[in-house]
Amino acid sequence: MAVAQPTAGAVPSQAPSRWAKMWKSLSIIFESRIATVGMVLVLFWVILGLISLVWTPYPPNASEFTQNLPPNTTNWLGTDHLGRDILSRLMVGTQVILLKTRLPWGGLVFPIGVAIWGVIGSVLVGAFLGLNAGYRGGWWDQVTMQFLDALIAFPVIVLYLVVIAALGQGDLVVILAITVTGAPGVARLVRSLALDIKTRDYIRAAETRGESPWYVMFVEILPNARGPLIVDSMLRVGYAIFAIGTLGFLGIGLPPPDPDWGNMVNEARKNIFSNQWAVVWPSVAIASLVIGLNLFADGLREELTRYQK
Amino acid sequence: MKKPQISEKYMEKIHPAIPDAYQKLKEGRVSRRDFMRFATLLGLSAGAASIAAQCGAPAQPAAPPAEGGEEAAPATEEAAAASGGAIKRGGTWTSSMQLQLLDHPARLSWVEGANIVRQFGEYLTETGPDNITRPYLLDRWEASDDVMTWDLFLREGILFNNGDELTADDVIFTFSEWLNPDVGSSMLGLLSYLSGIQDVEKVDDYHIRLNLQTPNIGVPEHLFHYPAIVLHRNFEGDIIQQPVGTGAFLLEEYAEGERAVFKRREDYWRMGEDGSPLPYLDELIYVSTDKDAGVAALQSGQVNSLYDPRPSDFQALKDVPGLTVRPVSTAQCLVLRMRVDVEPWTDVRVRNALKMCQDREKIMQLAYFGEGDLSIDAHVAPVHPAYCPKDIPAYDPEGAKALLAEAGYPDGLTVTLATKNDQQEPELAQALKELAAAGGFDIQLDITEPSGYWDRWTEVDLGITSWTHRPLDTMVLPLAYIQEAIGAWNETRWTDEEFETLLREAEGTLDVEARRDLMCQIEDIMQERGPIGNSFWKKIWNITSSEFQNVQAHPTAYDLMYEVWKEDA
Repeated sequence: MAVAQPTAGAVPSQAPSRWAKMWKSLSIIFESRIATVGMVLVLFWVILGLISLVWTPYPPNASEFTQNLPPNTTNWLGTDHLGRDILSRLMVGTQVILLKTRLPWGGLVFPIGVAIWGVIGSVLVGAFLGLNAGYRGGWWDQVTMQFLDALIAFPVIVLYLVVIAALGQGDLVVILAITVTGAPGVARLVRSLALDIKTRDYIRAAETRGESPWYVMFVEILPNARGPLIVDSMLRVGYAIFAIGTLGFLGIGLPPPDPDWGNMVNEARKNIFSNQWAVVWPSVAIASLVIGLNLFADGLREELTRYQK
Repeated sequence: MKKPQISEKYMEKIHPAIPDAYQKLKEGRVSRRDFMRFATLLGLSAGAASIAAQCGAPAQPAAPPAEGGEEAAPATEEAAAASGGAIKRGGTWTSSMQLQLLDHPARLSWVEGANIVRQFGEYLTETGPDNITRPYLLDRWEASDDVMTWDLFLREGILFNNGDELTADDVIFTFSEWLNPDVGSSMLGLLSYLSGIQDVEKVDDYHIRLNLQTPNIGVPEHLFHYPAIVLHRNFEGDIIQQPVGTGAFLLEEYAEGERAVFKRREDYWRMGEDGSPLPYLDELIYVSTDKDAGVAALQSGQVNSLYDPRPSDFQALKDVPGLTVRPVSTAQCLVLRMRVDVEPWTDVRVRNALKMCQDREKIMQLAYFGEGDLSIDAHVAPVHPAYCPKDIPAYDPEGAKALLAEAGYPDGLTVTLATKNDQQEPELAQALKELAAAGGFDIQLDITEPSGYWDRWTEVDLGITSWTHRPLDTMVLPLAYIQEAIGAWNETRWTDEEFETLLREAEGTLDVEARRDLMCQIEDIMQERGPIGNSFWKKIWNITSSEFQNVQAHPTAYDLMYEVWKEDA
């Protein structure tokens, strides 16, 4: 039987470098115009937030100017009802959403913003519950999904209020509130993916090898569900930003005076008839970041689906 | 012989409002009688007031009272125009205000409800926009020298809208409702000097005597507390089902959360400037909207007025053509209060250090767009008759730092400031946080929705509490700053023997000037060792379409509509 032999003197093909691999993965984004636009929008806010860590035009909480000024050469976006520079507050408002979490102990700060931690929490809890429900089925499925359905039946605002009323205000509580309200949706998604994936041959093969259910769920199923899960997570960051905005708007979000965009809208809303700019800018900020994340997620999904085909 | 004279400077020294009244007297806008009553209530002696009245009275006498001995409506600038025939009758006035569930007037908890009931029901007295209390359904009152006995004399000939005459029986019945714990009226606490209905005595059909258990000068003001509507003797407990009152309008329709409609009553007892019965307007309509919708409706002319505009509403509406803004000073305030039974506020130096961190002008500007009156750190307002003027304390962060160091906090102090987010509290809290940082205070803010704060307002260590207007200086102090009030409204737990003795004395002192002397000492004590900071007193505004005349801005946002008239009705 003829066996193929390597050609003498042939140069073995060089494995791609780590950077090349990373670029290849990232290049999927640039193949989608929608994803690229989304990423630019998100990066704009991330960069602005990073800059605000070291510099803002004026101290964000200092009442240094005349109240309710429209945009002008000194205050590019105008001032709010307490005479604070809106641009400075908008820049700092990015931090708490995307870049940092304030811990209640001695002014400690943890990297990565409240919205992202909230989504990470939702994904971790939701994926765990969804995988167990979908893969194990039976009473696991019944009990988990009934419980999650009951949670979904609550209006989200009520759930926020329950969590915050029970635990008080603060970054960690907002993260928990986002986790509690987001996890059921993630669990439903992961369960449906697990129900599909568990019928595949490679799952049968793993089971035949005698792998434990935990191995099958987290090593075989979860990585194969990552595409939709990543896209869903991107969308959820948008929802989380909305949630923080809503909580701030209700006055139960992150405590003042450190700005968060929802709070800025809420405070400025009282003066909307005399100063519309103070409402417009944080609203535009929330909208643009959420749209950016949605576009990014949509484009990514498009490209991932194309690859699957 | 030289004619005796009273200078305006002297009048201003007695009370800043007296020269204004004197000016109105000179212009013929108030009668000599009204001027004398006003001036004496503000502390001018009767002799001095009489001399001033003679000097200031215009050559032409004021309009005589209407026929039948009924008192004409109090004169105002617009009413003066009316005597020239400017008043027009007819027209509809529409206002935006939340309409709540109403049943027993004695149980009214909100001014909105009182603004409904007051259109067809009335009070024994009336505290006017000038903060002076006058007889209303009463013809007069008389107090004994020890202020333990009050004789109330009813006007005769006043009819309810069901045709019955108002008599002492109705007043006794109303008092019995207030004093009945089962009714649940806030009047019960206010009239704590009456041990029960046995202290309310009918002398004859138009004469009621109150036998107080403790002296109190606030009886006339208490009779105008907003739940104090005089009820018909057969009232059964639901004013919407049984809208019987002596007022100038008739309730046509009341739908909670929707609208209320009132029509003019033809046989009301008070006469207008034109000699016919009040009111001038044919119809009042309240539509129930939230504030933002109300602002938009007023801007677009869908309504003619807005109940109790917020500062932001004032900012939005003040320059709108066709609207007239009438500001009025009040005794409403946002009190920065410290619990003196909890560290570190037990130390008066720490309390005073925080008080020194108030840049009052800046706080008033940021929290209230500068639309108020600066205050000292005492709960006595310039609009109170016996207010004793004091210098406004300066912002002194260095002094605050030094005091903190002296109190054992050389590196400053971190404290948590709790409040609610429905009025201007968040703005005040944020302004104070920034200002107090220079004085060594690191203030953490704990701002919740209103119910979250009201659930714990007496318990938090450091907080900002909103206090409403009360017309008399001696009305609020016993509520919040005496031993007896601990467990009730004494949110600071502060008591002071000297303060309490002076307050008790003031409560029994009718003479305004003598009471002012006491208030001077009371204010000093509160400033030196008291538990509150108070940056400013709020102004409030009546904002109404300019076509409506004779509109009055009341410090408690009461809608006084009987004498309002509409141009080109």
